[in-house]
Amino acid sequence: MTGLGEMLDEVVEDIDAVLLYTQDSGTFERFDNDDTETIVVGTENAVEADQFVSLPLEFNDLDGRIRYGLEGAMDAELIDEGDEILCLTTFMDSGDIDTIVRVRADEFTHTGLYDLFVNSRADPDVVRDVFEVAIELGKKGQKGKPVGALFVVGDAGKVMNKSRPLSYNPFEKSHVHVGDPIVNVMLKEFSRLDGAFVISDGGKIVSAYRYLEPAAEGVDIPKGLGARHMAAGAITRDTNATAIVLSESDGMVRAFKAGELILELDPEEY
Amino acid sequence: MPIDVGRLVRRLFSEEAAFTVAVTILLTGAVISYFVWRWVHSLFERTGMNDAVEGTAFERSVNRFGTSTGGIIATLLGLFVYTLAIIVAFNVARLLDYEVFWTQVTRNLPRLFIAVLAIIIGLIAGDKAKIVIKERLRSVKLPEASILGDIAKYSIFYIAALIALAQLGVATTALLVLLGAYAFGLVFLVGIAAKDFLAAGAAGIYLLLIEPYTIGDEVRIDDKRGIVQEVDMFVTRIETDGEEYIVPNQQVFRSGIIRIRS
Repeated sequence: MTGLGEMLDEVVEDIDAVLLYTQDSGTFERFDNDDTETIVVGTENAVEADQFVSLPLEFNDLDGRIRYGLEGAMDAELIDEGDEILCLTTFMDSGDIDTIVRVRADEFTHTGLYDLFVNSRADPDVVRDVFEVAIELGKKGQKGKPVGALFVVGDAGKVMNKSRPLSYNPFEKSHVHVGDPIVNVMLKEFSRLDGAFVISDGGKIVSAYRYLEPAAEGVDIPKGLGARHMAAGAITRDTNATAIVLSESDGMVRAFKAGELILELDPEEY
Repeated sequence: MPIDVGRLVRRLFSEEAAFTVAVTILLTGAVISYFVWRWVHSLFERTGMNDAVEGTAFERSVNRFGTSTGGIIATLLGLFVYTLAIIVAFNVARLLDYEVFWTQVTRNLPRLFIAVLAIIIGLIAGDKAKIVIKERLRSVKLPEASILGDIAKYSIFYIAALIALAQLGVATTALLVLLGAYAFGLVFLVGIAAKDFLAAGAAGIYLLLIEPYTIGDEVRIDDKRGIVQEVDMFVTRIETDGEEYIVPNQQVFRSGIIRIRS
């Protein structure tokens, strides 16, 4: 076992900070007294840590969770580029910490995953709520059949000017916000309509049935994605909006910002 | 009337019968007070009152004495019923002749009880109000905001004390005047401070209901021209390249709005 112990010692040697993915105060207290900087990452600050990065979603894949934590900590200047970071997190669903990952803060490419939620035009809560609606829709579909949907969040004025109505807007003179309890049902019903949903910075659903007309030149999204994804990528390049797409063919939820694919989630995992 | 019962029993039966009746009343009172105690306990549990008072300072200090708010109120009510039974029994048995004194007590006992209850409810409500306000303001990271909770707490304490004192027959006119002045000042000052908000809110309700312009329209207000990005209760956000105007809704009303169709 000495080989294993040495290996572990090597992994945790000379680290600058610890990213601790826990909601358990007992675990946190064990680290709190240590000399190394401890940054807690989680959906809520259950342990009342001073240094905390808030996760908008329970990222089920390790990659997204670590990326988000690192980008969040860097954005809050809790860690610097070039720092050696140790991430302690859960890989399986056990809930206990079972995974140690060592990374250098500048070793990975900055994907803008953190910016997608925090530094978008729309409120972070609104972006998160739309994600939840899309995930919910992806899980259940419309009467058991898979559906597709396209949500354009933020910068609604500009988006409205770069799109045209396909039919009467069912949300005209209504004041429905994403996050209202009734919205999930409504959007589920309206998702059989074609076109995009437009949602304002503050979360008001401005319109459904919008046909987006952005300039699509120079939009580079992975090959194989359909017209809906192309429209989503293009509108975010033309405006400051964020687009969240539920794919009808493979059931994935994808987020675009500034014309680029930022995040890919499988609703079945949530 | 307890006195009448005593006289009736005495006239119909004898002095011993009256004594027996008194003892029976005493026992029944004990049983009833026990049931009242049990009932209040289960009432607190059933209606979820125990959860509602959780975390208040009163509940915490009571917990330290090994009981709960529900327990205290139940004990109080039980004690009240039992005291009543004792007084009735004493009256029937004519053990004490201070009739005037006892009628005084029967008249004042409920008042005392209400006064104690008012204090307890006031303490709990005040603490609860503070906790609720604090939770609401938690997202606002401003230490000064916590004073709002304290203001609410002590206002409720003051009113509770006022009710209790009035129940006990203490002259509270001066305190009432003080309360009136305080309430007036609060309403008046908040009114002045929130004047613009009220005006903007009134205009905002119209704008939201009628929607003369919506998100995506190009408009001009005074010399601010741009695309409407958001309309809420108080402000309209208009954006041009690189500039975002946040216009209070009453100004939209006052200067009118020009929709640009081109």
